[in-house]
Amino acid sequence: MRSMIMVLPLLVALAAVPATGQGPGHFYNVDTEIGIEATVREIVLEPRYKGTVPFLVLRVEESGTAKAFDVEIAPSWFFGQDVHGGEKVKIVGSLTEVPGTKPTIIARELKLRGETFKLRDKRGFPSWQGGPQRKRGIRRFGRT
Amino acid sequence: MIIKKMRHIIPLLMIAATLLPGWGATFYLSFSQHSTQNLFQTRDAVSDQISAFSLAIDQDFSALSLLVKAEYSAFREASGLSFFAADLGLDYLVPAGRKSAFYFAAGVAGQFYRQTYEPFTSLGANLLGAFKTYLAPSSIMKAQWQGAYAAYKDPLFDYLSQTASLSIDKYFASRTTVKADAEWGYKYFLHPFVPEPVEAAPLAMPMSGGGAGGGGTGSGGGGQHYQGGSGFVPRYSSAGGGAGIGHVSVSLLTAQGIGDAVGLSASAVRQWVVAGENPFLSIEEFYFVQNPSADSFSWEGHQLNGRITLAFPWDVSLKTGYTYSDKTYPGVESLGADGLPLGLVRNDRRRLLEARLQKDFRRFSVFLAYSHVDNSSTDPLFVWKSHFIMGGFEWNLPTGRKGGV
Repeated sequence: MRSMIMVLPLLVALAAVPATGQGPGHFYNVDTEIGIEATVREIVLEPRYKGTVPFLVLRVEESGTAKAFDVEIAPSWFFGQDVHGGEKVKIVGSLTEVPGTKPTIIARELKLRGETFKLRDKRGFPSWQGGPQRKRGIRRFGRT
Repeated sequence: MIIKKMRHIIPLLMIAATLLPGWGATFYLSFSQHSTQNLFQTRDAVSDQISAFSLAIDQDFSALSLLVKAEYSAFREASGLSFFAADLGLDYLVPAGRKSAFYFAAGVAGQFYRQTYEPFTSLGANLLGAFKTYLAPSSIMKAQWQGAYAAYKDPLFDYLSQTASLSIDKYFASRTTVKADAEWGYKYFLHPFVPEPVEAAPLAMPMSGGGAGGGGTGSGGGGQHYQGGSGFVPRYSSAGGGAGIGHVSVSLLTAQGIGDAVGLSASAVRQWVVAGENPFLSIEEFYFVQNPSADSFSWEGHQLNGRITLAFPWDVSLKTGYTYSDKTYPGVESLGADGLPLGLVRNDRRRLLEARLQKDFRRFSVFLAYSHVDNSSTDPLFVWKSHFIMGGFEWNLPTGRKGGV
């Protein structure tokens, strides 16, 4: 119980930290949700939102149409998963199309190597911090 | 017991979940129920059931992430093994261009036992630095260093360790991934020896374990027979001091995707001890207990693994694997039933069959896992077969804002 009591102030302290912001006009819109099958062509770390670490972005080519998309995955995935160029993926996410730029998909679900990763819920709430697919901190790499 | 503890933990979760909408953190809750036929993993099988409950909170602050985790495991029969564990970790991602990044992590962790297993109570710290880069879109290189320190209630087990590794992989158009890995590691036990007694001592002394709280019945009896022992038979040394063991290892992994639903992988590891040896005369293992013997530093030999992953409709997956290992523990003696050394360095050959069936829902997952171990050893105490069953759920509750981040 003592240890639990020690955790409580930490929770309260963390509550005072404001949530990270998001860029205007770039948000998860459920009305523009699409699903595509594609091949990964390039993997980059790219700034996406002010004040946050760069996101892992997949440059993909849709199967059949060869249309190119940028797929925004998550900030933490660069070390969490090894995605390679040439791998086939299935993506469900919100499409943002601005004339003159490459269309971007904010990924909600990614199927890779037979495994389905849920990056956001159906309303667009990010869930990449936790969940069964991701281990954090030392455990991400470590051998005991 | 677990219900008692949950009574304290669940209100905390509810308070936090109520106070923190929009906070951006993820709460991560899990419960698992284990059943084992052989808790102490010796020829004298003892059944037990374990309930494990954990609560973790994960929060990203820009490039910095914080993890707080509390866990309690209750043993139904061997209640003296029940333990509470807590982790606090910070990690930090530093991009280095568009295709590379550094990763740093620091953490502290504690495991707290009561009663007879109190010698395993420990506090520790970990540091990690890693670098990952894309040599080409289909090829990744990673370099990593990790250091750890742990102080145990029984100071015999106190250690410092470090590992450094380098890996390179390549993905081919045939959907084949090949990965090669090399590692160096060194573990230094700070004071693993007990002082030479005044009178002549037998070669295999009864378990004293320093702060172990009373001697046991010595080696060869199986973990369940120890009355206050900790599963280790230390060596005498009038000089005292520390002892280290170092290794190098190489591994090769190949993975193959077949269609959308099947994944195959095979891996091989070869490890050599290149410096020192294990400082303990004999070591035992305990199911589900962090144990200094069950680490990657104590053995040399090889390990082969094959794995099949099947993805079914409705987010159901099945993972099965088979592992064969042949491990020699330099410095560890094979002991006879009388507790005296047989003149053989301990060598274990283990066949492990594992399967895990999982169903993912929107916010939680349920799973059922089974494993079977067939262990042969030059030490008769460690010749055993057994199976383990585990079931449970994992649930995560993000409190993040809707939208881009």
